[in-house]
Amino acid sequence: MNWELHDIAIVGGGMMGRSIAVKIAQQGIHVHLKELSEERVEACEADLAAELERAVQRFDSTEAEKRAVLSRIRWDTSFDCAQGCDLAIETVQEDAELKRGILSELDAVLPTTHPLVVNTSTLSITELAATCKNPERVVGMHFLYPVTQTRVVEVVRGQLTADAVFERAIAFARLLGKVPIKCFEMPGFVTTRVVLPMVNEAMHVVMEGVAEPADVDLAMKLGYDFRLGPLEWADRVGLDKVHNWLQHLHQETGEPRFRPCPLLKRLVRAGLLGAKTGRGFFTYGPDRKRLDRPNDDRPGLA
Amino acid sequence: MKILVLNSGSSSVKFQVIDTDLERMEAHRDQTLAVGSLEKIGLSDSRLVLRVPGREPHQAYREVLEHRAAIDWALALLTDPVIGVLSSVAEIGAVGHRVVHGGEAFASSVRFDAEVVAKIEECSVLAPLHNPPNLRGYHAAHAALPDVPHIAVFDTAFHQTMPAHAFLYGIPFQFYTRHHLRRYGFHGTSHRYVTFRACQVLGWQREDKRLISVHLGNGCSMAAVDHGKSVDTTMGFTPLEGLLMGTRCGDMDPAVVPWLMAIEELTLHQVNTMLNKHSGLQGVSGVSSDMREVLAARAKGYTRADVAFRMFCYRIRKYIGAYAAAMGGVDAVLFAGGIGENSPEVRAAATEGLEFMGLRLDPGRNGAIVGTEGEISVPDSAVKLLVVPTNEELTIARDVIRVLHGVMPTFEPPEMVS
Repeated sequence: MNWELHDIAIVGGGMMGRSIAVKIAQQGIHVHLKELSEERVEACEADLAAELERAVQRFDSTEAEKRAVLSRIRWDTSFDCAQGCDLAIETVQEDAELKRGILSELDAVLPTTHPLVVNTSTLSITELAATCKNPERVVGMHFLYPVTQTRVVEVVRGQLTADAVFERAIAFARLLGKVPIKCFEMPGFVTTRVVLPMVNEAMHVVMEGVAEPADVDLAMKLGYDFRLGPLEWADRVGLDKVHNWLQHLHQETGEPRFRPCPLLKRLVRAGLLGAKTGRGFFTYGPDRKRLDRPNDDRPGLA
Repeated sequence: MKILVLNSGSSSVKFQVIDTDLERMEAHRDQTLAVGSLEKIGLSDSRLVLRVPGREPHQAYREVLEHRAAIDWALALLTDPVIGVLSSVAEIGAVGHRVVHGGEAFASSVRFDAEVVAKIEECSVLAPLHNPPNLRGYHAAHAALPDVPHIAVFDTAFHQTMPAHAFLYGIPFQFYTRHHLRRYGFHGTSHRYVTFRACQVLGWQREDKRLISVHLGNGCSMAAVDHGKSVDTTMGFTPLEGLLMGTRCGDMDPAVVPWLMAIEELTLHQVNTMLNKHSGLQGVSGVSSDMREVLAARAKGYTRADVAFRMFCYRIRKYIGAYAAAMGGVDAVLFAGGIGENSPEVRAAATEGLEFMGLRLDPGRNGAIVGTEGEISVPDSAVKLLVVPTNEELTIARDVIRVLHGVMPTFEPPEMVS
């Protein structure tokens, strides 16, 4: 099959969309990023520039690589930008109605043989694809943030996903230098399903007064060699997002282990959403740097 | 014989056509017919530049997705009746390929065959960014020119003569036996050419002399060449060790790496990028990785540019002393590479204060020799100082001739005492 990747359309220029765009552009592929309005484009473009600059400061890349990446990302406000593309990815928020609408739009402009990728951590690929004329070309890819660094992506097969499309998604993952984890469609796939009960449990531990949030994180981080403790992890993902995922998994499966911890609910209602609002279980600066990291959480250099 | 010289990178192919044979090598009358480079392979706007002496450079763009298409395009341009220099590809008598890493498997340039390819593949673990594209270039060129000999010329081969006490690191020996972890050194083709050419110019036999070759380009390295053999070199297991470079740190306490990783919470990727791409002249000066810009900033009184310049030159001076000691003396110090050939300031600072060991720079000559070949020491300096513009492509072309005539020397390692 003669199918090469030169141009990829991404719908949604938020944190995830930008991170995926950068990873793709790093492979020399052109990205067409679609946002809702000129204002959104402007805001997202500024965020992207800041993120890329931070990556240079963090030694993740160099000034030259940054310029090369920027030169391969084009912003747009119309679905027409997907017309000449070899693959399209939607990466808007976890809202089934919204995602369905976008998939229909993409289904109309992209040649029928080309894959439509849904980036979701909990939603049903089959359900999202149902309204497409060509549901067999819809495949799920659950990218994990930051996409430039995580080595893994879950490639998710819906009920109607064609074999060839699934194989292309796997090849695409490899092209991005990622390890594809093949999954059949089930709420939460592997990563989200396994991590959420642990994070939820950590919140219960805090709510029950068993241990302070900082100690819960330290115990898990130092004890099991996690890069982040479960509570800081949730803070960084966004507590509203974690809450949505839990609720969705709870509804879909009926399993009580996914019932969102009341403390999480309370924090979300108070608008304490984690790193992005400066406060969640911990406190963060405007650059998302944690401000209250205890000394015991610093590396031992003995 | 007209030889196609190829240097295949992951997204670029540099090529030259050089006309040479045994007599011309001896007389230094080899002729470079064309110099080309093809960049951005794998993208839709790949660019090819072809330079033919005496003509305007030719530039062209098209989509080139892999090495085979790149080689085909290069050959098409080289044989173009207007732009080209060859009447047909049949004029190409042989192809010389630059291969970065020959590991311990190659101590000489060799003709490609299945076994050679397999061994180069084995060495890929030592140079994962370079050997695979080198091989892709070979496979593409072999497909395009199946009937001529293809010769592999290794950056590491010349340094294979180093003794174990120079190439081993002071870490548990099992890592050497298990992973071939040791100093290999790079720029071997350049150090070889420069020491060969200097002796040709001076009327010396390389086998009688102790030479220090200083290659200062994008990457920088020095080699101690004792009676024709490389006995030590500053680059190590990778091209990161030794001198300060444009963006590479060179020598450093290895304990810095785990310490920084812990305290700054850097990943392996980040620390590797930091040492290779954010350090050196760039990292210290904060101005540029380009010595010319560092010199300009220094002239304006910028302190960090000044200290970067001093670090750069000081480390060269230190190694000149070290290599003179390693060889029990030195007869000539040779400067090559972009900075070595073009910066009198660097050459002056790098040899300053070495009069005690017989190095006496002639400031007038040093200032006058920029980008050309020539002596820069005073006439009665006990140790000669020379600028020798390097020519790695020419060495590759000459090695093709040497291999085909069976006169290619082997840089045999000395016996290791068990």
